[in-house]
Amino acid sequence: MSEKGKQRDTEEQAILEIRDVSVAYDGLVAVNGVSFCVRRGDIIAIIGPNGAGKTTLLKLITGLLRPSGGEIWLKQQRVDRVAPHRIASLGVTQVFQDIQLFSNMSVVENVMAGCHVWTGASFLSTGLRLPHSRAEERNISDTALRKLSLVGLGQKAFYSPSSLSWGEQKRVGLARALAAGADLLLLDEPYGGLIAEEIGKLSQLLLELQHRGITILMVEQLTDVVLDIANQVVVLRYGEKIADGTAAEIQGNEQVIATYLGNGPLEGDER
Amino acid sequence: MRTVKEKIRALLSGREHRMVLALFAVVLMTVPLVAGPYGVIVMVDVGLYSIVTMGLILLMGFAGQISLGQGVFFGLGAYMSGIITTRCGLSPWLVLLVAAVAAGAVAIVVGRALVRLRGLIVAGVTLALNLVFCSLVVSLRDLTGGATGLPLIPRLPLGGFAPSNTLFSYYVVWIVAILLLVFSLNLVNSRTGRALKSVNLLAGGSEDTAQVLGVDIIRYKVQVFAVGAIYASIAGSLYAHYTGCIEPGAFGVHFSVLVAIMAIIGGMTSPWGAFLGAGLIVSVNEALREVMPAVVGGSTGAYELIAYGSILVATLLFLPQGLMSIWRRLQPQERFR
Amino acid sequence: MLDLSAILQFFISGVNLGCIYAAIGLGLFVVYGVTGVLNLAQGEFVMLGGMLTVAFYTAGTALVPSLLMAVIIAALVGAMLYRLIIYPARNSSGSTLVFLTLGFAFATEGIALSVWGWEFKSLPSFWGSPNIQLWGATIFGQTPWVVGTTLLLVIGLFFFFGHTIHGKALRACADEPLGARTVGISTDQMALFSFVLAASLGAVVGAVITPLTMTGYGVGMPLTIKGLLAALVGGINRAEGVILGGMALGMAEAISAGLMPSGYHGVIALGILIVVFLSRPRGLLVAPGKV
Repeated sequence: MSEKGKQRDTEEQAILEIRDVSVAYDGLVAVNGVSFCVRRGDIIAIIGPNGAGKTTLLKLITGLLRPSGGEIWLKQQRVDRVAPHRIASLGVTQVFQDIQLFSNMSVVENVMAGCHVWTGASFLSTGLRLPHSRAEERNISDTALRKLSLVGLGQKAFYSPSSLSWGEQKRVGLARALAAGADLLLLDEPYGGLIAEEIGKLSQLLLELQHRGITILMVEQLTDVVLDIANQVVVLRYGEKIADGTAAEIQGNEQVIATYLGNGPLEGDER
Repeated sequence: MRTVKEKIRALLSGREHRMVLALFAVVLMTVPLVAGPYGVIVMVDVGLYSIVTMGLILLMGFAGQISLGQGVFFGLGAYMSGIITTRCGLSPWLVLLVAAVAAGAVAIVVGRALVRLRGLIVAGVTLALNLVFCSLVVSLRDLTGGATGLPLIPRLPLGGFAPSNTLFSYYVVWIVAILLLVFSLNLVNSRTGRALKSVNLLAGGSEDTAQVLGVDIIRYKVQVFAVGAIYASIAGSLYAHYTGCIEPGAFGVHFSVLVAIMAIIGGMTSPWGAFLGAGLIVSVNEALREVMPAVVGGSTGAYELIAYGSILVATLLFLPQGLMSIWRRLQPQERFR
Repeated sequence: MLDLSAILQFFISGVNLGCIYAAIGLGLFVVYGVTGVLNLAQGEFVMLGGMLTVAFYTAGTALVPSLLMAVIIAALVGAMLYRLIIYPARNSSGSTLVFLTLGFAFATEGIALSVWGWEFKSLPSFWGSPNIQLWGATIFGQTPWVVGTTLLLVIGLFFFFGHTIHGKALRACADEPLGARTVGISTDQMALFSFVLAASLGAVVGAVITPLTMTGYGVGMPLTIKGLLAALVGGINRAEGVILGGMALGMAEAISAGLMPSGYHGVIALGILIVVFLSRPRGLLVAPGKV
């Protein structure tokens, strides 16, 4: 294969590319010149102590924050100046650390809200219940129920989100994101606050999603769980990338060891 | 699993509401047969207020956008209908539609500027817009008749006739109200309704989440602002043709606050709340008019203001979800509020 | 044509109106700053101040005691508004609190209407101050009182917030409620105090402007709206902004009253301010781009 062909191949494989991205707020640099690539179909984990800029990085990708420098490319499109709802329509969605289920909707409605991005019935057509809108709604409810049973909550469709346990809420959040049909899923601390049994189940679910062709980018503190399933790990500290590679490579990296075993985490907590 | 699926289907197809809606419509259509002329007059008021309130419930209860300026759009509808029909002799029905579209267009322009502001500030700015609108109506004396009002607005025609009785207005107003109720119910149980609820910062929405799920939050907020304006404009046109004479006092700040009071008292989690709120406030108003002159004599305006104010405060302190929440509490098997 | 006396006249009535709106805006600012509540009943305190002063004065009390009693009663009403209505709902959303103040405003208007009727009422100029002629412009006898009172209030507020322990505590509540509580400042007491302060401020203004503008049961709501707009245009987070906004609204009204056909000036001034606000929603005094 020629050199050129090879390059195009990697370009096609990269679903997301972060190029030298920086952002600062209130004079504090939260992310500083970070670059990395996400290959289609991978599970990639961003780890690092508190204040490393992990959550900020996710917000930059979904467009909720604008970088002050650098470029973000998603599926060969530059997206760092694009409105969040347009980025969502390119097949990216995010589950926040605090899930943010809509408490003014039932569980199933929450998941149905996730279908917004791939449906298109207008104000008028939903108000008049035109045939197009009716067919779409049927499609939405079927999808929502499928996603809910995928995360094992089919029977709690009509519950209020506030009546669910934390683990269940996290599953609803995941189902809602899956309903959006995104092929790039951003998860902010998906394991946070889960009990041991739930952690195993979540890993299984994430691997199954990967098997279905969904690329997963997650931010996590629980490093050992993540290292088990991630194909690629990016380590951040104080907004800068200090390592990038497979789990094995990362575990051998001296800087990473210093960050996690030395006084790194303490410094991180202070920040 | 099957039962859940059926339940969702029922909710989506509006089947859940269909029986109640039919009953509601039948009762309303038979009211004039039972109630006397006085009852019919009162019910026309309830119908008109319900339409404006329903629009505000979509805006405030679903999308979480406060507006204290619905009087502007009620007034726009009324004056456009009044002015165009008296001057150009066009069909009132046609003008009603044109006015509604125009009010919607105005709302889109205003809404675009408002959606970027914080909710509280929007409340203040819409109130100020209402004040400006009323002074403008008074100032444009040649067009609007100024403070004395615009008289001689024709009745709504029916075929070749122009029925002048209240009964006709009753049916027109309530048929429109029921149609708009159906529209609203469809809307809130659909893609659009979920998008609106997802941006509702007053009640459990989240703008960040809405956006990462693909909701264009500005567009939805502007659109629902326009829908609220269109409801108000339609009610305004109907009001103009019903009373035959309009004056700026009817579209003032007090009107807008009163509509907000009706929405809050009725309950903003469902379009049905509009009828409860409007019904209650209009009834209180009528009761005061009956009772107070006999007890203390004189004008009842003061007691109306005191009553509205106290009812609003009491509702917010003791029944913040409005009267609809009592209905919800009576349904024991429902897990979701 | 425009001559010097006309310009001077615009300026004088602009300052006069500006002082009124700035003072009302400051009342809104004090409560908003300390409690985060947008108090749409602020104008009702202005109404109460005016109406009560008139009531006592016409009953034969001298001017100063009438004014004092009016302010004290308004302050008590302000305390009631906080204790009985805002305090029980203090954990509700900002919009609920706005509606609570609106409900209170309606009820207050109703009570005023039932007690005093719908007629407009006035007072003579304070101590019969005569009108002053200055280079062809007329200064109403009451104008110096309005301007002077506003100046005193502004100076008083700045001194209070900058140099007294109470004022500093209030500011702390506004900036950092949690921090204020941890150092032992009672945010509840400060909130109560801000309502009392705003109510008395409003009542003083109401009494002072009555000889000039007259007062009636329904003047509160329009005054609230104008004061609010003034505060928003200038920037409701800073006292200087509120004063600037008030002056801008006053000048706009005075100039449009002079230049526009009669009847339009209210529309034009308010309209201009709304447009200015919508294009600079952070307020005139805050540099664009800064949060």
